[in-house]
Amino acid sequence: MSDTAAVSVRGLTKRFGEVTAVEDVTFEVRPGRIVGLLGRNGAGKTTSLRMLLGLSRPSSGTATVFGRPYADLPDAARRVGVSMDGIAPMPGTSGRRDLRIWARMLGLPATRVDEVLDKVGLTGSADRKIKGYSTGMRQRHALAVALLADPELLVLDEPANGLDPDGIRWLRTFLRSLADEGRTILLSSHLLSEVEQTVDDVVILQRTLRYSGPISELVPGSGTSLEERFFELVGTEAERHVDA
Amino acid sequence: MREVLNAEWLKAWSGRTWWIMGALGVFLGLLGSSGAAAVADQQIDSGATDAAAATAELIRSWFSVLLASVLFGALFVSREYNTGAISRSVLLCGSRTRLLAAKTIVGTAMGLVFALLAAVLAPLSLWGFFTLFGMDVQWSGEATLTLLGVLTVVTLAVPWGVLLGWIIRNQAASVTIVLVVTLFVDETLFRVLPAVGKFTMGIAMGAVYRDAKPEMLSIPLALLVIAGWLVLAGWTARRLLVTRDVK
Repeated sequence: MSDTAAVSVRGLTKRFGEVTAVEDVTFEVRPGRIVGLLGRNGAGKTTSLRMLLGLSRPSSGTATVFGRPYADLPDAARRVGVSMDGIAPMPGTSGRRDLRIWARMLGLPATRVDEVLDKVGLTGSADRKIKGYSTGMRQRHALAVALLADPELLVLDEPANGLDPDGIRWLRTFLRSLADEGRTILLSSHLLSEVEQTVDDVVILQRTLRYSGPISELVPGSGTSLEERFFELVGTEAERHVDA
Repeated sequence: MREVLNAEWLKAWSGRTWWIMGALGVFLGLLGSSGAAAVADQQIDSGATDAAAATAELIRSWFSVLLASVLFGALFVSREYNTGAISRSVLLCGSRTRLLAAKTIVGTAMGLVFALLAAVLAPLSLWGFFTLFGMDVQWSGEATLTLLGVLTVVTLAVPWGVLLGWIIRNQAASVTIVLVVTLFVDETLFRVLPAVGKFTMGIAMGAVYRDAKPEMLSIPLALLVIAGWLVLAGWTARRLLVTRDVK
């Protein structure tokens, strides 16, 4: 694995008409780390990830993956695995069928589908329609799609959403095992306590960047929690209303 | 490109769209051909037509499968926008232009499947309905050319729908617009302003399946007009796809 930052974001800004969703955000994700992108709902997390992946065009600034914009990165689809809020499976498909479609697009053998199904624990439900999956099963399915090409970098948008306590514990262990294999993981979340136990570094967004660095520096002692530090950086709901 | 084509082919046969549109095409074809047979029965009795013309007319009635074709094409793209699966397609396909090309090619292949369905069912319905009404089938060169025309427009209707789907990018809107344009706008424009209306996609397709209306384009010119519409829609679809955010 090279020393090039897995993800590099420089002065990233996105405006939708009069509304600025993301403003002048700069951060890096180093290889082999689990990085939590934190923020309230509407803080600009998903918008930032969509710009990183080339789905959305920045108003200004740049976002690169392994040193290049996603669209210009050779073999990007195999090097970057993605699970995004708002990207649903193909309509009307079973879990296996959906995975087969994306495996074909990646030029992977059908056996790879069975491997990722096994990895996320969905083998027994693979032939059921995804429409009938629970939220947790859908999250696992999305992870399976992201893992198809055995990518170096995983970009996961709110992977813990809708998971029950067992699912969250499974996800935490699973992400750690992926990082131990040398992968880089950038995950967005608003579940602070969950992220605190999972990530190495954090990036805190509230339209603008509020913090970027190791979680150990943000939450140094046993007397402080990530939640307290988060609200110090982004303000509480009451403060937001006063500001408004 | 081969991988993207393989994946798109599997997508085309996934979900309910392909068989619902196939069933709709068969229904519309049978409805049209039964009506054509009933009219032919009366007209042959009154001497207004003959068996050869009635045979070609029943074959022509299968042009209605193109409505199912164009809807399939539009849904083939727009359903991905509705679910957000389009983002994954864009992420995994390598380039947006490649994805557009693959969907258009696979759409055309699916158009051939719909055309094959019509090619089998049109002669079968001819035999069935003519037997039912006690009429003789008289296959002619006109019937052959009409069948070829029907198969051509049924095939080309799918890529037309695909490109409209890329431009409209919404499932409900694409279905509504396809229905309104195909069933209402083209016909109305042709009736009100035939000199302009004959250049619409629907009326140009009518010329290809030898619809016997006055002021229709010749078949070669109609094919050129259809190609022109496809090129224009393809250019617009590509421009929108590569410049807009994928949502």
